[in-house]
Amino acid sequence: MDILYIVVNILVFLALAPFFEGVVRRVTARVVQSRQGPPLAQPYWDILKLLGKQNLSPGNLAFKIAPVVALASILSVIMFLPLGYRENALSQYADVITLIYLLTLGGVACLLGAISSKNAYALVGSSREMITMIMVEPVLAMTLILGAVKVKSLAIPASVLSVTGAGYGASVIIMLVVYLMALQAFVGRQPFDIAEAEVEILEGPFIEYSGPNLALFKYYMLLKQMFYAALFVIVFIPAIKTGFYGLDVLIQLGFVLLVYVLIAVLGSTHPRLRIDQAQKIYAVLIVASLVAVGLSVYGI
Amino acid sequence: MLTIEEIKKQLKDKYQNSIKNFDSPYSTRLFVDIDKSKVRDISNEIIRMGGRYLVSVGYDNIARDKTLGLIHNFSMDRDDIFVSVRTAAPVDNPEFDSITPDIPNAGWSEREYIDLLGMKFKGHPKPKKLILADDWPAGVYPLRKDVPWNLMPPAAEDVAYELDEAPEGCTTIPVGPFHPTLHEPAHFAVFVDGETIKGCDYRGFMVHRGIEKLCQTQLTYNEIPFVAERICGICGSVHAATYAQCVEFAAGLKISRRAEYIRTIMLEIERIHSHLLWLGIAGHLIGFDTVFMQSWRVREAIMWYSEKLTGNRKTYGMIVAGGVRRDITPELADELRSVINTIDKELMVIYKAVAGDTSIHRRTKGVGCITTEEAKLWSLVGPTARARNVDIDSRRDHPYAAYDEMQFDVPVVDSCDVWGTVVVRILETFEAIKIIRQALDKMPAGPIMTEFDENVTPMRHAISAVEAPRGEAVHYLISGEENRPERWRVRAPTYPNLQGVPAMLLNDQFADLPIIIGSIDPCFSCTDRVVKVDVRSGAMSHLSSGDLEKISRAKKTAGR
Repeated sequence: MDILYIVVNILVFLALAPFFEGVVRRVTARVVQSRQGPPLAQPYWDILKLLGKQNLSPGNLAFKIAPVVALASILSVIMFLPLGYRENALSQYADVITLIYLLTLGGVACLLGAISSKNAYALVGSSREMITMIMVEPVLAMTLILGAVKVKSLAIPASVLSVTGAGYGASVIIMLVVYLMALQAFVGRQPFDIAEAEVEILEGPFIEYSGPNLALFKYYMLLKQMFYAALFVIVFIPAIKTGFYGLDVLIQLGFVLLVYVLIAVLGSTHPRLRIDQAQKIYAVLIVASLVAVGLSVYGI
Repeated sequence: MLTIEEIKKQLKDKYQNSIKNFDSPYSTRLFVDIDKSKVRDISNEIIRMGGRYLVSVGYDNIARDKTLGLIHNFSMDRDDIFVSVRTAAPVDNPEFDSITPDIPNAGWSEREYIDLLGMKFKGHPKPKKLILADDWPAGVYPLRKDVPWNLMPPAAEDVAYELDEAPEGCTTIPVGPFHPTLHEPAHFAVFVDGETIKGCDYRGFMVHRGIEKLCQTQLTYNEIPFVAERICGICGSVHAATYAQCVEFAAGLKISRRAEYIRTIMLEIERIHSHLLWLGIAGHLIGFDTVFMQSWRVREAIMWYSEKLTGNRKTYGMIVAGGVRRDITPELADELRSVINTIDKELMVIYKAVAGDTSIHRRTKGVGCITTEEAKLWSLVGPTARARNVDIDSRRDHPYAAYDEMQFDVPVVDSCDVWGTVVVRILETFEAIKIIRQALDKMPAGPIMTEFDENVTPMRHAISAVEAPRGEAVHYLISGEENRPERWRVRAPTYPNLQGVPAMLLNDQFADLPIIIGSIDPCFSCTDRVVKVDVRSGAMSHLSSGDLEKISRAKKTAGR
């Protein structure tokens, strides 16, 4: 059974990540921008279309393997996620530090691909991406550590599931707000889509990618987005355990949908910030997340 | 207040010997013929009197007296006077003193005539190639009469424009020729230190089509308005109106009052749609697509109305020398009233949302700052200037069409940044709505066309300015024989504004580049023809509009 949970994780994420992206586009169009918007299935078609296009490459190895590494690392992260509140066969082999490492590996793969393309826009984009990674990573780490402090264990299911275990204390509420504010940066949307900023640096790190390679990166971005949305639901929404695994997963996915709607509304009601302005906001978020962990040590 | 007599007197007192002649065919126009040795001094003197540099006009006069003519034009904004300083140099030594060191905005005009007429300018700080293609042969000056309008010199390999050297420690980021910020081909080489802009070089005119040459040699007076409209895809009526006014001045023609009212309405319709378009693009440039979608939704109503009135969403084909081509019936007038009422209401919602949005402030306030003095030094025009506390607007300063009877404000703000241009443009849209309402109410009955016999006395000079959405458009016309102008010079508002962009970019962040360039609402005049290139053989063939139509119809029938 334990293996089944891993398979379900992977399948659910692979199958639904493009759909949720379609929801974001639809909500942005219909609710905020008075447009019809594309069909919900559009992100699937986008990826399919890219898979059938020509793969252009400057010819170095790093450029070619970067998308594969990125996709592999995010899939590995997803395997550890206790979706439906179940531990799986892999849980005992890793802890939250592994999770953070694997997430960072995906980001590093993006940077690697960008830098190896030697494009001026990609370089600007990757330097911005690097700043974003360095400055929002602590928020993610602190969220996981908050749970770890509570159960005094770094094991994935224990620390992830125990944040709200003792109800909503001050530390949890601070962390929840900080996570929500950092969410747009995690998923690379306005006001924090600075690394890709289409009108300045034309999708930055991904500018030289095309065809299947770009499709892999797109899939990576979609999965990453869903991971952060699901992590929010698992960590901050108190467990509604029905006892049936399938139902638990469905309820969680319902909440994920709500998080996506939030992402869409936030993204479409803000302009993009400049990297220097964003840094100041990130700095506040880091301090606030540290305060939350500090408070949790004293059980507040 | 200065009068023409006072200007004449002041110039005569100081430069008695250099001034050959004064000509003042209208109470608002003064042409001064001078000796070329004093061109710099007299230009500075006019600036000192309160003049604002507009544009220079160079023309080929070789057939008549073996000279190349040069005209520097200035506007006395407070006195409703245009002063044109005319001079000439023999064709075998066409050298003038450059006025660019004192009036930086003259830089492009002078470079243009180095390229097109083979003039030389002593003391020009940057006499680089501006207009001609990099592989254009040396010594062929396309604006001279002996060069045929359809000359196509063979293309050359391995020639490239030499961009300025990047300052020490800076990286060059190419923006263009194709870049989402620009919408049209132009190249900015931006020198950045980290993310801070330390300078830039501009190479544009990539789609220069030689419209002036074409019209001077091939078309007649009343064919030109339709080409003039195609100078700009957004403010076409402006160019048709400016041109038509030039011809009317040259011919001494007074058009009917109703036609002037209809022109006013067309120009204001254009302002509304152009400003809404800009607001949308500005939103997109700072990554705020909701502003983009909503302002374009509001704009759509006026586009539909234009189509109903003129048959086209854009490029109306309404204004010709002598009047306008279509009347506004009472039913259409009522419909226009209701359309602008809706826009008025909906724009107010957007305005309140934008004005109260702190994150938009964060991206636009203090961005692209230049002082009022710099804006005046660079002769900036339109909302770009009015956001820098320069109180100019040709609708008020040099009334044309029916603007003398309109009551409206000219919004001017002193924030000196991109935010100022947002505010000025939105407020101007409300003023445009006000003007249309008044014009519809006051419009007198009468004919819409006045007979224009196309028989204009040759060699008459005329200058006219119209306030386009982006700033004032200036046209200069010298009437010619064979029912067409001898020389027609167009200065679109982006021409001066683009020259001021490097000053706005300096020491700003690279992330602000799109909105700073966008804030002048650049319009690189883009109606280019399609060239088909066979990649294997390199053979080029042109697709005519007929061919394109056939292709698109074939696609339609094939159901694609």
